[in-house]
Amino acid sequence: MRPELTNILSIRLSPGRSRLMLLFIFCGFLVLVARALYLQGWHNEYKSTKQPWLTYTEKLRANRGKITDRHGVPLAISTTVNTVCAAPKQVFMSKVERTKLAELLQIKTTLLERRLKQKNKGCVYLKRQISPERANKIVALDIPGISFEKEYKRYYPKAELTAHIVGLTDIDEVGQEGLELEYHNWLAAKPGERFVYRDRENNYVDEDLDRFAVPQRGHDLPLALDLRLQNFAFREIKKAVVNNQAKSGSIIVLDAQSGEILALANWPSYNPNNRKTYKPRFARNLAVVDMFEPGSTVKPFNAAAAIEAGYVDPNTEIDIGNGTLKVGSKQITDTHPKRGDLTVSEIIKVSSNVGSAKMAFRMQPEDLWRTFSAVGFGQYPKSGFPGEARGRLREYNKWKKIERATMSYGHGMSVSLLQLARAYTVFTTDGRLLPITFVKRDALPEGKKVLSTTTANAIRAMLEGVTQEGGTGTKARVPGYRVAGKTGTAHKIISGLYSKNNYYSSFVGFAPASHPRLVVAVVVDDPRGNVHYGGEVAGPVFSEVMGKSLRLLGVREDNVEETFTAERKFGQVEG
Amino acid sequence: MNFTLKKNSKLRHNQSTFDESLLLIFFALLGFGLVMVYSASSHEAFSSGNSFSYLYRHLTYILLSLTATFIVIQIPMKVWQALAFSLVIIGVCLLGIVLTGLGKEVNGAQRWLTLAGFSFQPSELMKLFIILYASDFATRKSGELADFKNGFKKGFLPMLIIVVGTGVLLIIQPDFGSMFIITVIAIGILFLGGLSWRFLTSLVVLSGFVFWILIKIEPYRAARVASFMNPLDNLWSTGYQLSHSLFAFARGEWLGIGLGRSMEKLFYLPEAHNDFILAVIGEELGFLGVVSTITAFAFLVAKGFMIGARSAQLEKYFSSLVAQGIAMWLAVQAIISMGVNLGVVPTKGLTLPLLSYGGSALLVSCSAIGILLRIDWENQQMTKGGSV
Repeated sequence: MRPELTNILSIRLSPGRSRLMLLFIFCGFLVLVARALYLQGWHNEYKSTKQPWLTYTEKLRANRGKITDRHGVPLAISTTVNTVCAAPKQVFMSKVERTKLAELLQIKTTLLERRLKQKNKGCVYLKRQISPERANKIVALDIPGISFEKEYKRYYPKAELTAHIVGLTDIDEVGQEGLELEYHNWLAAKPGERFVYRDRENNYVDEDLDRFAVPQRGHDLPLALDLRLQNFAFREIKKAVVNNQAKSGSIIVLDAQSGEILALANWPSYNPNNRKTYKPRFARNLAVVDMFEPGSTVKPFNAAAAIEAGYVDPNTEIDIGNGTLKVGSKQITDTHPKRGDLTVSEIIKVSSNVGSAKMAFRMQPEDLWRTFSAVGFGQYPKSGFPGEARGRLREYNKWKKIERATMSYGHGMSVSLLQLARAYTVFTTDGRLLPITFVKRDALPEGKKVLSTTTANAIRAMLEGVTQEGGTGTKARVPGYRVAGKTGTAHKIISGLYSKNNYYSSFVGFAPASHPRLVVAVVVDDPRGNVHYGGEVAGPVFSEVMGKSLRLLGVREDNVEETFTAERKFGQVEG
Repeated sequence: MNFTLKKNSKLRHNQSTFDESLLLIFFALLGFGLVMVYSASSHEAFSSGNSFSYLYRHLTYILLSLTATFIVIQIPMKVWQALAFSLVIIGVCLLGIVLTGLGKEVNGAQRWLTLAGFSFQPSELMKLFIILYASDFATRKSGELADFKNGFKKGFLPMLIIVVGTGVLLIIQPDFGSMFIITVIAIGILFLGGLSWRFLTSLVVLSGFVFWILIKIEPYRAARVASFMNPLDNLWSTGYQLSHSLFAFARGEWLGIGLGRSMEKLFYLPEAHNDFILAVIGEELGFLGVVSTITAFAFLVAKGFMIGARSAQLEKYFSSLVAQGIAMWLAVQAIISMGVNLGVVPTKGLTLPLLSYGGSALLVSCSAIGILLRIDWENQQMTKGGSV
């Protein structure tokens, strides 16, 4: 293989060809440089914004604010739960482990397998929101590819007791109903953010600390609610609805001076912690969102309007004749036995429809309308509860003659129980309508002066008569306290007509009458028992709740004489 | 080096040295490769237990390859010329053996021979052997090569048989990339050796036609060519790898996002430490890193041609062609490999010489650098009046 001498000498390598080749090669290098310059020097379609799968923004959650009663007892809290995730490609487990896992997750094995079949997904939820105890048991199984995400789940320790007020959130802690909805922005946690780099198999690699945003927990919301009073109210209204075989019932306890809602309960209620049994119709806060014809409970406002306008005073006598009054083709009747001349006070005490109507006829329709509007009928009560009812009060210039009469005893209009309870604050103050609230107040509100002090005091005195001997509300009495209030028994409207045997039985009142501390309003929808009068059905509920609440709050008794009488009767003499 | 000095007393007086800049760029590329292989592979290696596993293996390859370089430097060029034909025959035989039961199949390609625990790719070796053989051939048959009319049978046919035979063996593996490189090197050396333009034209046309046929008959090759045009359209299929390579460059911008901080190497970009190492360089070290790498190769290639030119002046034609052949080989492979990364050449699995992870390629390219150093050293000896 040795090269022959002649050949070696004959070969002439051309420097030109080498240079041509080198030039060619360098052109290649230059193309590469140009391309790199294009890709890296200029912004183009391959820039990082186009690659969402390289980095992830992870939401960091925090606690939603607590909802508590006025003394800090928790009514809604966020508890830590774990959501179980799996990277389907990395999960390997035996049959036994699979069965165990499905059991701990409380899902079917087939469902578990189906979720794990989504191999194209980096991460799938196996089950959301399981308890930390369960999560720990899953950790102990030590299955690769399973991870946990910290989440928060809303829990309502008082369940059905406060369900209607507090409302509830969805699984992502977004307020859906009640105060949870109304105050969502205040309660909601401000989620943080974490900018995480992950590899293609979803493993954590690194994170951008400059883009880390700390999550902030939501604000707490202390309510005006007093859980102890709420307990009384809830228990009594439930008992009343059950005992009277009624459709439903509602009760509200207001602070007579601050307008705070200390208790509010409806029956039926529901357990917000159990979403399986959730039914929207049980979730309605009837006391706030439902309207009914108030009946005789508005008579004091009729009397107040007449006194304010100067047509009557408490002792003006009005002849109610034989207890009937013909207005056009309609006839108004009284159910009490009194006949003849009755004072305004007596009309309230025995709840005379005829007397009230005659009083109304003495006024201009506008006088009555103005007072009704001034105490909040037909107006949103602005309690800060979502979906609150406005009630219905038609413009006075559209009233027919019969309506001027019926309006005076609470028919032809409608109110919510909350509106009714609030209206009574004009009698517990010196004629000021108080703003109401579910949230705790720091200072007493001024309120809006709608009645003169004299009128307010006069009506208060009349209302005290209702619970005295001969009044319709004797069942609402509370030993040791002077109680003022008014009964109401309204015929229900069923398919557009007043029903003879279906009623709304109500009682609204306050105590102690000398220095009113609480307003309690009770309504029972359609009692089917032996009695249906407001005084008979709602009166005892009022008495129980008012009595227990006043004693619990340590309110000084203002009816010492009666207490002594009672004690003497049972032979218990103090000292 | 000392070994050589002792054997040849004349050398002691002349004090010839190895080309410093060539050595520098050689070691720089090896060192840079080691760093980048570690950076690109560490995450993948980490998830399989030891983030240093590729680093250690690459380091072992580098040490083995440097040993090979040292041995190759001792071998005079006339020995290479004497062995050229035998070596190319051995190479062809090895390529044949790979296809038998002794060969090992990885990812659907039968390219490896396992010898004493080491896997080896004969196709890499064949690249060097074809350079030696083509250079020897061109030196001996220069007269015939220049004569298109009469030279075909004697001056061209044996070469054609060897190249076509090698090509066929490689295409069976299949190893389209190596086949392309080997063909280009062979034609390139014959061109430098004085191949007549008419020979050259017909050769280029012929091989162009063959490559076109090969692309057409294998659907995956055609798909690669198609997806290379619009990688983002096939982001989740054929364009996946290229798209991620391009994302890597784009993320790097001018100065890169920092050594070791590549995102694409986190399983997004397959073969990051191997065929797509330039993409990782581009992402971590930016345009600066890419241009530096290209410049290093350009320098290496220029150096090879300069050594070749010097040999031609000294009328050492075999050495001249070998030096230029090696330079051409490094150039073509580097350009194609980097071109694939940058999306200017259809996706083809080719390693970046001296930088990429991989034992056989590194061993052979280091040996080639050894031959370059030897040629340069011999040139110096001759200039100073020594003999080799």
